[in-house]
Amino acid sequence: MNGFTIATPAQVLAIDVRLPDLDYAAMAPMLVLFGAACLGVLVDAFAPRQSRHTIQFALSFIALTVALLAVIREARVGSRELTADVALAIDGPTLFLQGTLAVLGIVALLLVGERALEKGGPFVSQAAIPVGSEADRRQAREEGATEVFPLTLFALSGMMLFVAANDLLTMFVALEVFSLPLYLLCALARRRRLVSQEAALKYFLLGAFASAFFIFGMALLYGFAGTVSFGGIHDAALLATTSPLLLFTGLAMVAVGLLFKIAAVPFHVWTPDVYQGAPTSVTAFMAACTKVAAFGGLLRVLYVAFDRARWDIEPVIGTIAILTMLVGAILAVTQTDIKRLLAYSSIANAGYLLVGALAFSKEGLSSAMFYLAAYGFTVIAAFAVITLVRDDDGEATHLSRWAGLGREAPLVAGVFTFLMLAFAGIPLTSGFTSKFAVFGAALGVGEAWPVALVIVGVVTSMILAFPYLRVVVMMWLSEPAEQSPTVAIPGAFTSAALMVGVLATLLLGVFPSPVLDLADRAAEFIR
Amino acid sequence: MGGYLGSYATLGLLLAVGVLFFLVAMTANRLLRTNRPSAAKSTTYECGLDPVGGDWAQAQIRYYVYAYLYVLFAVEAVFLFPWAVIFDDPGFGMTAVVEMGIFVGVLALGLLYAWRKRVLQWT
Amino acid sequence: MRFLTQDPTLADFGHDPWWLILLKIVVAFIFGMSMILLGVWFERRVVARMAVRPGLNQVGPFGLLQTLADGIKGILKEDLLPRTADKVVFFFAPTVPAIFALTALSVIPFGPMVSIFGVQTPLQVTDVPVAVLVVLACSAMGIYGIVLGGWASGSTYPLLGGLRSSAQMISYEVAMGLSIVAVFMTAGTMSTSGIVAAQAGGSEASWSIFGWHPTVPSWYAILLIPSFLIFVVSAFGETNRAPFDLPEAETELVAGYMTEYSSIKFLLYLLSEYVAMVVMSSIIATMFLGGWRAPWPITAFWSGANSGWWPLLWFLAKVVLLLFIFVWVRATLPRLRYDQFMKLGWKVLLPVNLIWILLLGGLRVMQDEQFSGRNRWLIIGGAVVAVLLVALLWPARKAEPKTTLEEQMSARPSGSFPLPPLDLQVPPSPRAKRVVAERRPANVTASGAGSGQVADADTDADEKEV
Repeated sequence: MNGFTIATPAQVLAIDVRLPDLDYAAMAPMLVLFGAACLGVLVDAFAPRQSRHTIQFALSFIALTVALLAVIREARVGSRELTADVALAIDGPTLFLQGTLAVLGIVALLLVGERALEKGGPFVSQAAIPVGSEADRRQAREEGATEVFPLTLFALSGMMLFVAANDLLTMFVALEVFSLPLYLLCALARRRRLVSQEAALKYFLLGAFASAFFIFGMALLYGFAGTVSFGGIHDAALLATTSPLLLFTGLAMVAVGLLFKIAAVPFHVWTPDVYQGAPTSVTAFMAACTKVAAFGGLLRVLYVAFDRARWDIEPVIGTIAILTMLVGAILAVTQTDIKRLLAYSSIANAGYLLVGALAFSKEGLSSAMFYLAAYGFTVIAAFAVITLVRDDDGEATHLSRWAGLGREAPLVAGVFTFLMLAFAGIPLTSGFTSKFAVFGAALGVGEAWPVALVIVGVVTSMILAFPYLRVVVMMWLSEPAEQSPTVAIPGAFTSAALMVGVLATLLLGVFPSPVLDLADRAAEFIR
Repeated sequence: MGGYLGSYATLGLLLAVGVLFFLVAMTANRLLRTNRPSAAKSTTYECGLDPVGGDWAQAQIRYYVYAYLYVLFAVEAVFLFPWAVIFDDPGFGMTAVVEMGIFVGVLALGLLYAWRKRVLQWT
Repeated sequence: MRFLTQDPTLADFGHDPWWLILLKIVVAFIFGMSMILLGVWFERRVVARMAVRPGLNQVGPFGLLQTLADGIKGILKEDLLPRTADKVVFFFAPTVPAIFALTALSVIPFGPMVSIFGVQTPLQVTDVPVAVLVVLACSAMGIYGIVLGGWASGSTYPLLGGLRSSAQMISYEVAMGLSIVAVFMTAGTMSTSGIVAAQAGGSEASWSIFGWHPTVPSWYAILLIPSFLIFVVSAFGETNRAPFDLPEAETELVAGYMTEYSSIKFLLYLLSEYVAMVVMSSIIATMFLGGWRAPWPITAFWSGANSGWWPLLWFLAKVVLLLFIFVWVRATLPRLRYDQFMKLGWKVLLPVNLIWILLLGGLRVMQDEQFSGRNRWLIIGGAVVAVLLVALLWPARKAEPKTTLEEQMSARPSGSFPLPPLDLQVPPSPRAKRVVAERRPANVTASGAGSGQVADADTDADEKEV
């Protein structure tokens, strides 16, 4: 008998039970999406088969529009607050990124909902059926799955939560909420089932490892700070008298989880395979929205929780940024598949975004957010073009098949040329303005690391221009191959997505100032 | 042995006694039993026939979806247990019940979906 | 309450001297083992009586020592090891269910505070804040022994038995885990002694019928009757007992997971089934039947019924009663088909459970928050109406169109076995003819055997043979 008394949970909690205040208006975008996703599950379970696609698409579209309106309303009100105790931060970056997510989500949804290009849509209903089995052949003939819509909505609600999360626990939950649907979506391609399943499995296994790192790092940070909220970690780092070993180990592990999601080297290996294997519309969704969400989370972690440790983490993240830019650019040169090419380009772009993030300044933050929005539109439009170039076997993604496309379909080739130029960062495109903003912010700090990063960034941009221009040259100047793929006539949805993407790329290149100002005004985290 | 962990230690002790007892029983069995192995005795049972083929049968696990659902509801139970103990303490009230209702409802949605998709139909 | 001082609480545990702990452990162990011996005898006797047979009566008085004799015989038998078995797993798998089932006995409260050699101590080996979960965990661990044993045998039937067992476990574990949530909600604790204390004596109801305040029944079997029923059903599933004994269905799988086992390993499996049964009976008695407390009529005229060593008697009586129900069900009900079994678990027990928990939670909170009578009835009425509406509007299954015999026959795939003609007249068997001839010689010789007469003759013959 050691005088060890046990308090039952009831006794502990009965002392002071205070339910946290919830600002429902501020949480409305996430709640709307989550509710619509749950409703979508019900629709899929009960609605008649023929009308499911229509209902689901309309439901998702309305939900995303409502979410966008809710974000805009919240931004109008100008709310800056911590809600749900301190679990959620509704501040400028949150609202800007949530708005970006909603818009990009709508555009990606248009691609996901397209059924004109392929009979039954580009998705099958069951991911786990062994390839080549009787059941698999049967489902290849059947009407496609409409579960993709609720899954997309679940993922988007998780992403919106992710950029708003103000403690590690909420962030982890959000990470899982948006990752799990993505793993599943990757495996649903109607064509090339085996590659699709492989992509999903790779993504899932590596993603699970990354999540494990994240949660382990979270435990260590909790051990250091005694709290998981970013503000608390910041204060603990400020006041700590103990060894910061736990802090840095924890930060490193959390960073692994986040850098995996943004596909930074050396955590990028999943990207090409997943981008190639996933259904192209899902790839577009991932490339645009996942990047926004993951960077939003990373920016918040770096700027809010580890602001004090910036001198210590700058060399590490800086090295990763340099590696990311170099590996992405150099490997992009060697690619022969258009989807893999864009995957490596997306890796390199993660590096440019890290340059902006590492400026640790208001300009750095605003330029990174602008970059995310601009890149998202361009990349969705690029993948939309890829869905159009097809042959009997589905999409023709090998670069050699694109030879001479300019003669076959000058309009589509012209659009793609414009997008490639945007990726290469040619002026009058959003690619130029966003890179300019990011590098400018880094130079504005005037320290050694940012400058070094900018130099590497400019050099790799030049390297990266080569593969883009090679595609352009191939399309316009090469002779068409024997059996050249046909360019499908885009349905209304794909046309709309393509138009929005191209227009945004052009407008953000010519008149970037409204969005730049918006990002600039939003670029302030609250703690 | 006192206090909180003492109670758990007692559980462990009972476990140890159980292991010990069965070790003794197995040893007694080994000492007492007859042992005349033969080839026929060491074949597996196959309804009076000689077993054909390898020992390894690949069975189709049709109920992996059940396993998913089990994980779903087993984890749900983990959240329900602590809630059940304290939910009507002062300070929680209707909010706690409604929140748990939403949580259970979302999970029940999964069950409903599986039901409608004929996953729960054993063929 | 009058006897509340007798009630052990969590704080009473963990203060025993070491010799007392050892004593309790040994006694619990002996209790478990003797319950096995008696349980097997009990089951065989009862089943025999229900089948109008005498049952065990050879070894010892009333055949009581038969199980012991069987056990000794089992130990002396040769232990066969299949060539294809995974030796290590095959060896230790049978011990797992037995050991864990016995461990679960340690948190069962057998009685109130008693004095053992001058030490005041609860009649329970130990208690922890999550004692009921310990029991659940132990019963789930037991399944590992079955699955591993089935797999390690390297044979088809055991493998199927093991797989069935795991499917069974995951289906019924869910229902079981959720059904005890209602108990936790009402008792406000997860410790077994706390749950028994919470069922002590009813309090007078706040409402009245014409001025009479009835005593609210205190046993959770009455208060939480849906939980009780679900728990009992899933306890049958969890212990692999009839009508849910699919993992060892002898008509389909020889002996299921224990087909390849012999000698003491076979006995261990057999034994673990009975321990699991005893543990389940004890936990049902503890959680739903008031534990060691005397039932109502006894407490009404005997105030000392709940103190000292008497409660042990009540507890054992409840356990034996539940064991009898286990046996009774086995003797009465046929084994379920697999799809029916899964359907019951997932489509009936689980949804009912979820609704019941939330309903109970809402009711309890409404009770606490002193909703005005009108509002309360409005909410309850609304819930009832909602449930009724869902039940009424639930899309009814379309009746399957009746197929004629001809359609059924033409639907058979080619290459099926030939069917006998539908209007086949079965000729009377020579034996039946003889019997009829013996009894009614005149009829047979007069008109020959018509079909009706043959049927008569057949039944007559059957009766005679019996």
